[in-house]
Amino acid sequence: MLTYLLRRLLLMFPTLLGITLVVFVVMASSPGGITAESLVEGQNLDPEAKKEITAYYNRLYGLDDPAWMQYLRWLNNASPIGFTFDEQNELSGFSFTKGSDLGKSFRYGRPVTDLLAERVPITVLLNVLSIPLVYLLALLVGVRAAVERGRSFDISSGMVMLGLWSVPTMLAGVLLIGFFANEQYWHWFPTAGLSERVVMDQVFLPHWSNLWDLGLLFLLVTLSAALFLAMASAARQWRMGFIGLSWVVLGAAMVWQLPEAGRSPLLWLMIPGAFALLAVWLASTDYRLLRQLGFLSTGLLVGLLLAVYGMQGEWLRGFLLDRVWHLVLPVVCLSYGGFAGLAKLTRTAVLENLLSDYARTARAKGLAESAVLWRHVFRNSLLPLITVAASLLPSLLAGSVIVESIFSIEGMGKLAVEAVQTRDRELVLSITLIGGMLTLLGYLLADFLYALADPRVSYD
Amino acid sequence: MTEPQTKRQSYWRRILGQTFVRWGARLGLFWVGVLAFLGVFAPFLASSFPLLLSQDGELSSPVLEYLQPVDVLFLVAFITLLLLIPLQLTLLRKLLALAGVLAISAILAYAWVSPPKLVIYEQYRVAEAQGSYDWVLYAPVPYSPKDYQRDRGESGLEAPLSNSERTHWFGTEQNGADVLSRMIHASRIALGIGFVATGIAMVLGVIIGGLMGYFSGVVDILGMRLVEIFEAVPTLFLLLTFVAFFGRSLYIMMVIIGITSWPGYARYVRAEFLRLRKQDFVQAAEAAGLPLSSILFRHMLPNGMGPVLVSASFGVAAAILAEATLSFLGLGLVDDPSWGEMLNQAVKSSSFNWWMAAFPGGAIFFTVFAYNLIGEALRDAIDPYLSKSG
Amino acid sequence: MLLSVKNLHTWFRHQGRTIKAVDDVSFEIDRGETFCLVGESGSGKSITALSIMRLLPGTNLDRHDGEIRFQAQGEASVGLTSLSEAEMRQVRGGQIAMIFQEPMSSLNPVFTIGEQILEAVQLHFPELSEEDAWARVMLALREVQLPDPETRVQSYPHQLSGGQRQRVMIAMAMACEPDLLIADEPTTALDVTVQREILRLMKALQQRTGMAILFITHDFGVVSEIADRVGVMQKGKLVEVGQTEQLIRRPQHSYSKALIAALPENLARHAPHTPVSDAEPLIRLRQFQIHFPVRKGLFRREVDRVRAVDGVDLEIPRGQILALVGESGSGKTTLGRGILRLTEPTGGQVDFDNTDITQLDRRQLRRFRRHMQIIFQDPISSLNPRLSIAGIITEPMKVHGIGENQEQRLEIARDLLAQVQMEEDALWRYPHEFSGGQRQRIGIARALSLNPSFIVCDEITSALDVSVQAEILRMLLDLRAERGLTLLFITHNIGVVEYVSDRTAVMYQGRIVEQGPTADIINRPQEQYTQQLIAAVPRVRF
Repeated sequence: MLTYLLRRLLLMFPTLLGITLVVFVVMASSPGGITAESLVEGQNLDPEAKKEITAYYNRLYGLDDPAWMQYLRWLNNASPIGFTFDEQNELSGFSFTKGSDLGKSFRYGRPVTDLLAERVPITVLLNVLSIPLVYLLALLVGVRAAVERGRSFDISSGMVMLGLWSVPTMLAGVLLIGFFANEQYWHWFPTAGLSERVVMDQVFLPHWSNLWDLGLLFLLVTLSAALFLAMASAARQWRMGFIGLSWVVLGAAMVWQLPEAGRSPLLWLMIPGAFALLAVWLASTDYRLLRQLGFLSTGLLVGLLLAVYGMQGEWLRGFLLDRVWHLVLPVVCLSYGGFAGLAKLTRTAVLENLLSDYARTARAKGLAESAVLWRHVFRNSLLPLITVAASLLPSLLAGSVIVESIFSIEGMGKLAVEAVQTRDRELVLSITLIGGMLTLLGYLLADFLYALADPRVSYD
Repeated sequence: MTEPQTKRQSYWRRILGQTFVRWGARLGLFWVGVLAFLGVFAPFLASSFPLLLSQDGELSSPVLEYLQPVDVLFLVAFITLLLLIPLQLTLLRKLLALAGVLAISAILAYAWVSPPKLVIYEQYRVAEAQGSYDWVLYAPVPYSPKDYQRDRGESGLEAPLSNSERTHWFGTEQNGADVLSRMIHASRIALGIGFVATGIAMVLGVIIGGLMGYFSGVVDILGMRLVEIFEAVPTLFLLLTFVAFFGRSLYIMMVIIGITSWPGYARYVRAEFLRLRKQDFVQAAEAAGLPLSSILFRHMLPNGMGPVLVSASFGVAAAILAEATLSFLGLGLVDDPSWGEMLNQAVKSSSFNWWMAAFPGGAIFFTVFAYNLIGEALRDAIDPYLSKSG
Repeated sequence: MLLSVKNLHTWFRHQGRTIKAVDDVSFEIDRGETFCLVGESGSGKSITALSIMRLLPGTNLDRHDGEIRFQAQGEASVGLTSLSEAEMRQVRGGQIAMIFQEPMSSLNPVFTIGEQILEAVQLHFPELSEEDAWARVMLALREVQLPDPETRVQSYPHQLSGGQRQRVMIAMAMACEPDLLIADEPTTALDVTVQREILRLMKALQQRTGMAILFITHDFGVVSEIADRVGVMQKGKLVEVGQTEQLIRRPQHSYSKALIAALPENLARHAPHTPVSDAEPLIRLRQFQIHFPVRKGLFRREVDRVRAVDGVDLEIPRGQILALVGESGSGKTTLGRGILRLTEPTGGQVDFDNTDITQLDRRQLRRFRRHMQIIFQDPISSLNPRLSIAGIITEPMKVHGIGENQEQRLEIARDLLAQVQMEEDALWRYPHEFSGGQRQRIGIARALSLNPSFIVCDEITSALDVSVQAEILRMLLDLRAERGLTLLFITHNIGVVEYVSDRTAVMYQGRIVEQGPTADIINRPQEQYTQQLIAAVPRVRF
């Protein structure tokens, strides 16, 4: 195992080298390339100043050297061990402790390391929130689809998942922002960023001036959640009627929220109607877990709305709640595609194992179908999903580029777009390096987890 | 075991038959067909120039005068395809014939077709309003994609069907151009990008993957490193870098999307070749002393293409999505409208106008969905054969 | 009566059609007896067993019909078809246990074998404490004579050999002391020596516990070893039931007669070729070896070699059939492919008609290939699914310049198809349109198309039913006589060896341990390994 890990780590170096080389070659061989001239081009300066700045850039970044020289220099600087140079740019020796220096951004004029230290955690936060969400929901749907293979839940969820998978992230983002963060429609969420400036100085947790309000909130949410959860197990007609009615009311309230001009008679019919249909479908499904989840979230929502309506005093949102409020739309936008893809994979994996010989053995032992599923099949089905987790990471990173651009979140994705647009060589190279490193480590971690989960694998 | 009863049917005929039995695949094919129709006949479907008009008893067709070389090329390609399909030729010959006809007509079109340099979109509308024509026949959508309708004042944005004087089915964007017309013309870009980029990626992937799979050893190790390099960088990063540094022409975009998405195909083909090399019928071909070219191209490649074609139909969807994403991030084509760029317009405008986002976005969605549906049906049709005939 | 099945029907849904898989089957099993269901593939024997257990997947099962009554020790008789699912679960594993053909895939790969047996024990004896349950697991493992059970109990299935896994399956079934054990082809995937041990174990366990066994197999040799009574199934129907000895000696139904007549042991013997003393052998192997490197460690250095074929000396006289016998992993297939240089040899030489083919370069080898051909085991994967039969047969001819034009080659192909007893119109069809036996004929026609003098037959009948096997073997012998072919016949089936071959070589761990005329090897084996092997073969006695 240790040799295997070592081998993999060693193999990472040529790959990382290759990644940066590819990107560097692309930049260097492009028409115009990266020269000091191309950097000052757009600026409106008189020729003298232009010349000065060009010379300055050349001195600073060595842009007048041949391309291979530039790459080697960058590589030497970025690598934690390498040659050292003195003030006059003369070779002064070889050091194992010189440390890694990713250079200075052309555009920001700041060390790349600082920029990355600011931006990477934000992107990682988005992804760390998305991945568990993606897995949880995908397992919920995928397992059930496999169990119900060939029946209506399987077929309809298959179609919906394929559809969801086909929705371009930017369309989802634009529509979500357009309808739910825009004053023309429902202004429920913020349009940009991760925090409001005002809450930066506020307390971390939400704060109520009136304690009764907090009690009220707590009481209403608990009561309503309990009521809805109980109704989830009621007789079919009862629960269908109950949830349908709740959603009609919610839908009507939603239309009421629109600015006056936007409320057309069609909307009054359409939104509550569509909500009711969805709710009735939810109530009619035999999938108990899904039903309970749907009812519970409705209950929480209703309780929350009632409490907000009934609260008297002032309250401060606090940093945490504000952050969550800002993250809702971006995380939804980042997650749905991966969720849909993973749900389909889960279905395939579970189905394959449900039909396997060992599942038949387990049934022949006298185990109940649920025990066969959750004890025997489930664990084996997780194995292929571990491998998928690794490839999920690059696609989520790519998704962050779009999501961060739409929601104006200052993360690594947005930085990447800005970097290539401004031809910021140091920044582009470093982002590629970091992105590649994260991805490769993801693959390695997945392999390692796989070996832990599957006793058949021993990397000798 | 029961005797199979099916009669003479080649493998691909069987697979395609089983694919398009599924209604999902039919739906997908139908949508792609609609797009192809819109793309080919775009100048006749959405144009500010009348299809036919009669002035002082003389008939003329302005739309033909203003036809661009590209328009002609699309028409030629379409007609050639229609003619080729019923012919009894192998797929390779058909492709070669198509390529030949296209190359010749491209040269001819760019040499001879020379539309007027100065385009005044509103001239016919103005002239009609002045009553200079006997009668005028317009295209179903009487607006060109870049007709900003300056003759109608600074109206700019219009919601769908909000203006009683003129019909904009999908509304107009903030400059006043008709959204539907722009979408019809943009469907060409989506189709072109999808097919060409995937074609490039597939050819690259098959060659590299095939070499890795058949020769293994050092070739394989080096090839896999290359694949890993391209897979470790999120494709979008690579695309962004390429596009930002190499400019934004449609053709460059096709090539770039092609060369950033080959590793998947290479991986598939490699795995298939490794598997096929051990198969008995390949061993039999080897034992019969067949030349390497026959073993590779007659016995291995056709049997390894199944998963490649499946991923290609998903790949077309991915390529369309990639173009849309790049355009959306403002790195797309400069001149022509594309769906992604239209979506970008919707974001950039000061207020949210749902028709500017929903229609082009919906078009991207339906196209991607269509290809995914076809891909899924194809996979389901191929899968049992992979397991049955090994 | 322990189990009585009356008028069992099972319908299957398959691609929109309903198929009758089990058709009016009735039989009874008494306490302590072994009842065998025999039949060719697709005869419905496994489905009968799964119907009794009610284990057929719900997506395919259309409906059952008929009565299955089961009476456990000291309990009232129950109708299994009318039990609730929860009651049925008590029966499954507790009173009727089942073991399957593939012991590897039938065990869950991510749990230790101890955990898997424990699960069954705790399910049916919930009153047992953790320690008692474990004690029972250990007892079961000891009963099936798993070597070193204390450590093995912590092993995962992949760490055991095939025979050990099947022992674990049996231990799992026996741990809950069932009254009936259903064994669905439990030894088909195992080597003969292992098969014998497993059969002995099952018999011993049966004698000790008095359970009944419903044994499903396609092998009459196994039947005569283990069964008290036999039922023969054909196309979902149980055509004949009887005492084992009676049925094998004097089958009544025409299908049983045909089936027993098709056993290689019962086929009319051909007169063995006596080698012409001064004839040069066509093939001569000297110190032939094929080693595969094992690479390990940080830099993938070669640390060891798998000696698949390790110094083999062998001669095959012209016009004779040499049978190469051995268990799985003995290297016999590698040897066969190595002679044709489909797997590159790493040492020694192969003289073909006094030409050392290991010395040929690529181009020479390609020309030389027309003299030696191969026929494969798996009829499904041995034909290119994309080519028509005409393409498959004529392409090699074209490459080697046989026939002046395509018309002539097609004419030759028609003749070849006639020789392997196929219709002429098969030429324009595709491989998927043929059954396994037909495809094997096409494979033979392809091999003959180059008019070779030597053919390697690699287990060519092991994937086929006995009746088809008999036809193919007969045809092969005719072709040999007609064309003077020299054959290397690789097989693990001693019955086939006896029927078909002139000489026999026995292979074990990459080496030939014994060779000589077939009759000598079978009747008077000299080496210890050969003796074990021959003794382990289940024979149809009586």
